Amino acid sequence: MILSHASGRARERRHLIRSIAVAAALTLAATACGSGGQAGGSGDGGSTLTVAVWNMAKTPEFKALFDAFQAANPGVKIQPVDILADDYADKVTTMLAGGDSTDVITMKNVTDYSRYSSRGQLTDITDLVKSGDTSKLAGLDAYNVKNAYFALPYRQDFWLLYYNKAYFDKAGVKMPENLTWDEYAKLAQQLTKEEGGKKVYGTYHHTWRSVVQAISAAQTGGDQLGGDYGFFTDQYNLALGLQKAGATLDFGTATAQKSDYKTMFETGATAMLPMGTWYIASILAQKEKGATDVDWALAPMPQRPDGTGVTTFGSPTAFAVNKRAKNADLAKKFVQFAAGKAGADAIAKIGVVPALQSPEITSAYFGIKGMPTDELSKKAFQPDKVVLEMPVSEHTSDVDTILKEEHELIMVGDKTVADGIKSMNERVKNEVLN
Amino acid sequence: MTHVITQPAPSSAPPSAGPRSKRAWRPILIGWSFILPNFVGFALFTLIPMLAAFALAFLDWDSYSTPEWVGLKNFQRLLSDENFHVALRNTLFYAAGHIPLTLIVALGLAMALNRKIRGVQFFRTAAFFPYITSLVAVAVVWNMLFNPTAGPINQALEAIGIAHPPRWVASTDWAMPAVIVTSVWRDMGYYMVLYLAGLQTIPNEYYEAARVDGANAWQRFWSVTLPCLRPTTFFVLVMLTIQSFKVLDLIVVMTDGGPGRSTLVLAQLVYREGITEGHFGYSSAIALVLFVIVLTVTVVQFRLNERRSA
Amino acid sequence: MATLHDAPPATAGPPRDLPAGADRPGRGLVRKVLAYALLVVVAALVLVPFAWMLSSSLKRDNEVFTIPIEWIPREFRWSNFVEIWDRIPLLTYLGNSAFLSVTITLLQLLTGSFAAYGFSKVRFPGRDALFLAYIGTIAVPWQAYMVPQYIMMQRAELTNTYWSIILLQAFGAFGVFLMRQYYMSIPDELCEAARIDGLSEYGIYRRIMLPLSKPALASLALLTFVNTWNDYMGPFIYLTSNELWTVQLGLRSFIGQYDAEYAMMMTGAALSILPILAVFLFGQRYFIRGIATSGLKG
Repeated sequence: MILSHASGRARERRHLIRSIAVAAALTLAATACGSGGQAGGSGDGGSTLTVAVWNMAKTPEFKALFDAFQAANPGVKIQPVDILADDYADKVTTMLAGGDSTDVITMKNVTDYSRYSSRGQLTDITDLVKSGDTSKLAGLDAYNVKNAYFALPYRQDFWLLYYNKAYFDKAGVKMPENLTWDEYAKLAQQLTKEEGGKKVYGTYHHTWRSVVQAISAAQTGGDQLGGDYGFFTDQYNLALGLQKAGATLDFGTATAQKSDYKTMFETGATAMLPMGTWYIASILAQKEKGATDVDWALAPMPQRPDGTGVTTFGSPTAFAVNKRAKNADLAKKFVQFAAGKAGADAIAKIGVVPALQSPEITSAYFGIKGMPTDELSKKAFQPDKVVLEMPVSEHTSDVDTILKEEHELIMVGDKTVADGIKSMNERVKNEVLN
Repeated sequence: MTHVITQPAPSSAPPSAGPRSKRAWRPILIGWSFILPNFVGFALFTLIPMLAAFALAFLDWDSYSTPEWVGLKNFQRLLSDENFHVALRNTLFYAAGHIPLTLIVALGLAMALNRKIRGVQFFRTAAFFPYITSLVAVAVVWNMLFNPTAGPINQALEAIGIAHPPRWVASTDWAMPAVIVTSVWRDMGYYMVLYLAGLQTIPNEYYEAARVDGANAWQRFWSVTLPCLRPTTFFVLVMLTIQSFKVLDLIVVMTDGGPGRSTLVLAQLVYREGITEGHFGYSSAIALVLFVIVLTVTVVQFRLNERRSA
Repeated sequence: MATLHDAPPATAGPPRDLPAGADRPGRGLVRKVLAYALLVVVAALVLVPFAWMLSSSLKRDNEVFTIPIEWIPREFRWSNFVEIWDRIPLLTYLGNSAFLSVTITLLQLLTGSFAAYGFSKVRFPGRDALFLAYIGTIAVPWQAYMVPQYIMMQRAELTNTYWSIILLQAFGAFGVFLMRQYYMSIPDELCEAARIDGLSEYGIYRRIMLPLSKPALASLALLTFVNTWNDYMGPFIYLTSNELWTVQLGLRSFIGQYDAEYAMMMTGAALSILPILAVFLFGQRYFIRGIATSGLKG
């Protein structure tokens, strides 16, 4: 078929015009001012509450809280906005930047909280703190930003010492009541051995900087945002000493091989493990499944010789109300509920440490099947003082990054302790505090 | 839907019919009609957001406040930001190692596997496997190979008499070379695929002719294969350049920028400043600098390519 | 319909494989054996991480990251491969991934090769500048414009739909660039001859360029498919509803805040490679077209 010039061009032009029309339509669609946000409200005035959580299916605490809240408030339906735990903060940042209107945002850690609150993305809920009795709410101080609160904690994890009872019995040693760091180091060396061609380390220090830095800040009263880090020295010397003696897995190998503290403890590759209380629920589940037969118990964190009582560090988890929440009032109600007694009961039952502390909640907690029942374990569960893992301010995340980088250099032996601390001081002062 | 024009019109000698203006417009219209379907989606969903991001580089915006015009302040901050210097240096180091090595290995693989031998399918698939194996697995196994004390690489080095082999991922000097080796290994199959497609375009007659002229295999490679592969090599080179400067995922999984800042790269800094810290203006400024660097390199490659093929 | 009269001899013969220079039969055999031995060693080295992945998929979660590495599981837990279907809706995820990958690959092939023809065979002013803009966009890390893009999608109410992912990824510059380079290596004389025969530009594209560019289309399809299939960040940012999730998101859901089920992740990763493998093997035919060599043994 042969067309004339003109009609061919006309056809071409028509084709072009059609394409342009499509493009224009798309442009309009893209720039049309939508309401933004997810369909959260069900139309009858906010009886559906949206809550941003991570790994809904595998994090039972959320389901426990939601069920309890829905039972206490008939007619209310909670719709989880399920986000992967691994990159939770990144997605929440993007959502909030895009104007998302999810009602409640879970604060995975205080560093993220400091970011969102300082950007003004969260609703001020100081009135909830002032109106209720929050004196028993552990970790609340972490959320104090210039005397205003933008979140309430519902769970509070703190650090203690897990140990393999079987190894202790075999070596004929008993875990002391009040362990000091020196005793801890001796124990670690004493318990290091070869067993059936397999190396058993006396202790395992995970690669997080908190293992060295947060504990020394808590026990010396040092300020991790202060720009002067001399108070890390003793703890670094201890950690490097253990590494040198071969009583713990060396840092380089641990980071490179992505070593997993659970694997270390559950396969009997280490006799001791300083770790947070979140690990309790996980061990219970693994033992239940028969995935491990580790005979475990708890002890308080080791202390400095000059210390009095048991001081450890911890990190709370909290709920906050999005500034753009569709159902702000219901959202506040939920935040208060989760931080209150009903919320604490709901999560204590499944092995999560609630922020609200009371003797009955502790005894309920130790009533869970599979928990160690000795006195020392119970004592470990009631530290005298829990210091926040990392103070909250607008500098938190920048300082965090620097301290992490320098921590790695000290631990792989690239810098001496003194040099590492010196460059921490310089970098935090120059890059952050100036 | 094809339509056929009445008179043959080789583009070198335009038809005399029709007014000039129409003739000048014709190739433009035809050209654009080809490009448009892709361009509409591309402009709307990539170009516009990207330009918006570049505009952010001159603003101070944390995603919530009202954006504030700060001019070149973000760029001034760049100049004195030590993180940026470190990341830029590391990125250049990575690119200098990754680009030539991957190119050579990928071309070598493609040449070796572009023949009819038994089992060649298996070997080609194997070469592509690193690219599709889970990144976590890649990181763990390579880190194990590079393990300073018990790793096979260092044990081999000690066996041949090197007393103090590098500590690889546990040292600031050797972490980046370790990452480069891993990345070459991972990407070689990807670029091999591109070269395999490129080798298909070389007519066998050229080889026959060269053979008749008495050229040996090496001469045939230099005088036939390489020149004919020029468009492919240009593509591979540009893609490799861009990917090297943008490298992120492998580094995050393997070393996460460590130890210290020894493997911190620019894309990581863009991510950290933007998505993690919410300093979108500053993050965009870093991205803009990265863009300018890559574009400069690409334009140079473009010009050289034009000159060679002219 | 017009046919080609005098296509240049350069492309008259179909492309062939490279004959290996076999000089003397005796030496050829030794070399062949050596070449094979080398290939087998290299292939084994290349597959080591994959072997670790498979071995991990047959372990318990707390046996994956042992130090030193255990290559052979203490007990083979084949049950992982059965269990994973119950633990996560893997079939749904696989279907979602397949849908996205196929859709995006097809769009990328169609629009990319179409645009590439315009960029390589039609001369018009501003062509090269526009093309450079295309390449330039690849040079910007996605994290830099992720937020503006998200805001746009949020306004258009396309977040949490497949539209967002498809629109963002189907019109990338990669396909245009790859196809343009390939078309560049097809001699212009061929198009000229076709024009003289009265074919329109669209006709040349459809009847000459597309059939000739099978190897390039195959490699573009393969690479696009793999990249989409393995993409994590895009679906992660845009897809919230669980029933829209892709395999990569499903696998990451095994990483919790305090614990990770690595064995399950590796089981899923091993399973999720199978479709890629199928695509790769299918596409192979186009990398080497089986043509008998002209009397030379390869």
